[in-house]
Amino acid sequence: MKIAVFVKHVPDVAEADLEVAADGRTLKGAGLPFEMNEWDRFALEEAVLIKDEVGGDLTAFLIGDEAAEESLRRCLAVGADRAVRLWDEALSGANPFEIAAAMRGAVGDDNYDLILCGAQSSDYGYGMGGPLLAEALGINSVALVNKMKVEGSKVLVTRELEGGWGEEVEVNLPAVISIQTGINEPRYVSILGIKKARKKPIDVLDGAGVDLSSEGGKLVVESLQAPPLGEGAEFLEGSPEEVAERCLALLKEAGGVL
Amino acid sequence: MSVWVVCEHRNGALREVTYELLAHGAALCMGAVTAVILAGPGEGEALAALINGKAERTLLVEDPSMSAFNGTAQALALASLAEGAQEPPKAILGAHSAAGMDWAPTLAGKLSCPAVTDAVALSMEGDSLTATRVVYGGKLQSKIKLGGAKMVIATIRPGSLEDEPKAASVETSIEATSVSLPSELGKRFIAWVEEAAGDVDISQADILVSVGRGIQDKENIDVAEALAEALGATVSCSRPVVDMNWLPKERQVGISGKTVKPKVYIALGISGAFQHATAMKDSAMIIAVNKDPKAPIFQIAHYGIVGDLFKVAPALTAAVRAAKG
Amino acid sequence: MSFNLTSEQIDIQKAAREFARGEFTKWAREADEKEYCPEVLYKQAAELGFQGIFFPEEYGGAGLGYLEFCLVIEEFWRVDPGIGQSLGSVVFGSDLLLTFGSEEQKKKYLPPITEGEAIMAAAITEADAGSDVTAVATRAVLDGDEWVINGTKMFITNGNLADYIILYCLTDPDNPSRHQRHSCIMVETDRPGFSANKIHGKMGIRASDTAELSLTDLRVPKENLIGERGEGFAQFMAFFNRTRLHIAAQGIGVAQGALDMATRHVKNRVQFGRPLAALQAVQFKIAEMATKVEASRSLLYRAASLADQGIFDHKLIAMAKWTAGETGVRVTDEALQLHGGYGYLAEYDIERFYRDAKIVELYEGTKEVEKQVIARVILGKA
Repeated sequence: MKIAVFVKHVPDVAEADLEVAADGRTLKGAGLPFEMNEWDRFALEEAVLIKDEVGGDLTAFLIGDEAAEESLRRCLAVGADRAVRLWDEALSGANPFEIAAAMRGAVGDDNYDLILCGAQSSDYGYGMGGPLLAEALGINSVALVNKMKVEGSKVLVTRELEGGWGEEVEVNLPAVISIQTGINEPRYVSILGIKKARKKPIDVLDGAGVDLSSEGGKLVVESLQAPPLGEGAEFLEGSPEEVAERCLALLKEAGGVL
Repeated sequence: MSVWVVCEHRNGALREVTYELLAHGAALCMGAVTAVILAGPGEGEALAALINGKAERTLLVEDPSMSAFNGTAQALALASLAEGAQEPPKAILGAHSAAGMDWAPTLAGKLSCPAVTDAVALSMEGDSLTATRVVYGGKLQSKIKLGGAKMVIATIRPGSLEDEPKAASVETSIEATSVSLPSELGKRFIAWVEEAAGDVDISQADILVSVGRGIQDKENIDVAEALAEALGATVSCSRPVVDMNWLPKERQVGISGKTVKPKVYIALGISGAFQHATAMKDSAMIIAVNKDPKAPIFQIAHYGIVGDLFKVAPALTAAVRAAKG
Repeated sequence: MSFNLTSEQIDIQKAAREFARGEFTKWAREADEKEYCPEVLYKQAAELGFQGIFFPEEYGGAGLGYLEFCLVIEEFWRVDPGIGQSLGSVVFGSDLLLTFGSEEQKKKYLPPITEGEAIMAAAITEADAGSDVTAVATRAVLDGDEWVINGTKMFITNGNLADYIILYCLTDPDNPSRHQRHSCIMVETDRPGFSANKIHGKMGIRASDTAELSLTDLRVPKENLIGERGEGFAQFMAFFNRTRLHIAAQGIGVAQGALDMATRHVKNRVQFGRPLAALQAVQFKIAEMATKVEASRSLLYRAASLADQGIFDHKLIAMAKWTAGETGVRVTDEALQLHGGYGYLAEYDIERFYRDAKIVELYEGTKEVEKQVIARVILGKA
């Protein structure tokens, strides 16, 4: 089975102070740590598990510059057989339609049976890459999958719904499956994996040849800014014991709970 | 000009977000609002009745492929309706939901028209629709203009319309129509899957001690359990904790878990991503403990403690025990 | 001269960071309190290939260098020095075996370490022989085909856990040169006559095992001698030239971890209506700490990368080890100071880092010994 996985290299913003660049539309990325998008980690792990189970080969794709190659090397280290990186400066700050066009360009004429990607990215979170790629390839897609099993030329997936529900869907291959977090436990990278990765190829494709213009891509980022702050919490300060005493008083005031 | 609202329904009932979408559509003042109901045979009429008075027109399609949700069928049907409409919609609105995340990008691909997902606000600026989106884990907000295309698609984050404008009751006309869909859609609905019912119903608890990623490990949940025991509370959690298998799904507060409204909600190491926040923000009192003073949880919490939950929670446990004697 | 890590080195650094952050943090406090390192961590570290990174592949290692091992140690110590030392010291003594051991010994003792099946140790120090290793009195006498060993050893890392230990013994007391009286002998710890007692109550790196060893008529085959008889002193000097690189990485790791904590604290802690970070005195402090860390790191990476080219510059290595130790101690001290009263509470990790850092100035040559090494190269034997 020919399997592909798309991963994205995104800034880790969990503990970072974010600053907007002078253009008022983009993030100042300099100095921020970057890592593989959280959803993509699960997609990658799932791809490796499927490869191990049904056999075949796994190609990892990334739309990004050279620095982003780190995430591709991670793919190779945990089990991908080869990697493809496509980039052109025109893709910096690209919208989901442009990214999808680049993804389509990167896949080229290779026919993959199964393409996995994260259900969304932690930076912009559009969640459109997978379905748009599927449309561009003219194949099936299913989004927000938290369980899957390949069965011959079909794949049985569970889509995550609201309120603790799920729906089981059978999808014909080839298909693009967008993976939700929690579907598996992504592994750590091993030293042996890193060493093996060094011997695996990373093809670099020039994205300049990809036609990024589309009706859909007519999205213009007008501004990027800090969200308006609500009233926010009243902060309790002091030692843990002092803070605990304040909390206790609040719980008593709330009435009926203590 | 007109706006189409794609109605979400499950088991014969409209989902709450549908009413929000209708209000969103009306608030844009782009002309008549059409509610589009895609349903299985025999289901449409009852659903249409629920829309009555809330949209100028209801476009009703009943088709066997719509008996259960199928994103492909839905996108194909909407594309066919929009392209074949006498007066095509200027905007197609849907929910940023499990369904919307499936059909909306697919529809955008089919129609090749500008689309944004997960908008928290929409406005018309001149001839263009502008969407506000929350990005970078809730730390920044971005405004996106959907260019001057004939048609655009936007999905809206449920619960993001703060003050629902009271739409004046209108006369709703119902227009039944049909679409021709290919017999083989490439995917089939098999079954609903419900999480195994656990013995704990967190939505019934008066006090919840809820843990997030900051708890770091399964073993550390003891810290929350000790506090919960002292308070007579129940332990709940945010999504990453379930993803890591540290607590069962039945304990998850969030869109894909349970919505809760306890008297007191104590959030330990929870950043407050909207998927979580939206399901607990109506709690009577929210106390949040987090290391990051900029964590979004502090925007909805009543009281915030910037610090290490492993220090604060045991201190609070001790204080509660002492107070109770 | 390149000052950039290769992409492979960056990947190794990141892999170590992820593993440490993902697994150490949850154990760190308990490991410190209860003076142990959980078995599951030893297992995971071996499975992920962190044991024996610098062993050639034929001995089950990754065939990488000292620099790579230093990167791993630094990341481990940055997250938790106690667990970092526990996992990092699994290979302690292997450098000596790699350098002086026979092919047979290497094939026998090294692969089990990389597989997580064995833990190693090296024992020199005795109650009356610390920095002066020529004073070691543990006696090994050849009796037919066996060495018979009697004596005691003090402060032995992994003494209770090790499967085999390189023991520094007095074999030739009559040799006129006190530098040719000792030999290194490999001792399997399941042999009769071996016993180890855990030393409790260390100030820092409490997760790491330390023991007092007692050897009573312990017999090992003659072939357990490593290299030449009487070469023990020279062997251990060469050994320290290698292990001091690892120790320097520890000092930098603990300093970086403390700097991380201090940075987070001063950005979050509000006093007089502003975060501490807004105060110039605090800014200067952070700048000084960060500069110390970088300076020490540069020195170590240079010494380690030379070692990987086969150049063991013992002056440079001693400088790297001394500076890193001092950086560890100073930076954890400043970081604790920036935490104010909270830093003095056991609940705060910085308190543990402060205690952990000190060992780097003590073991594998005190800072005074390091300075002596440096001075001797510069001044000669004055």
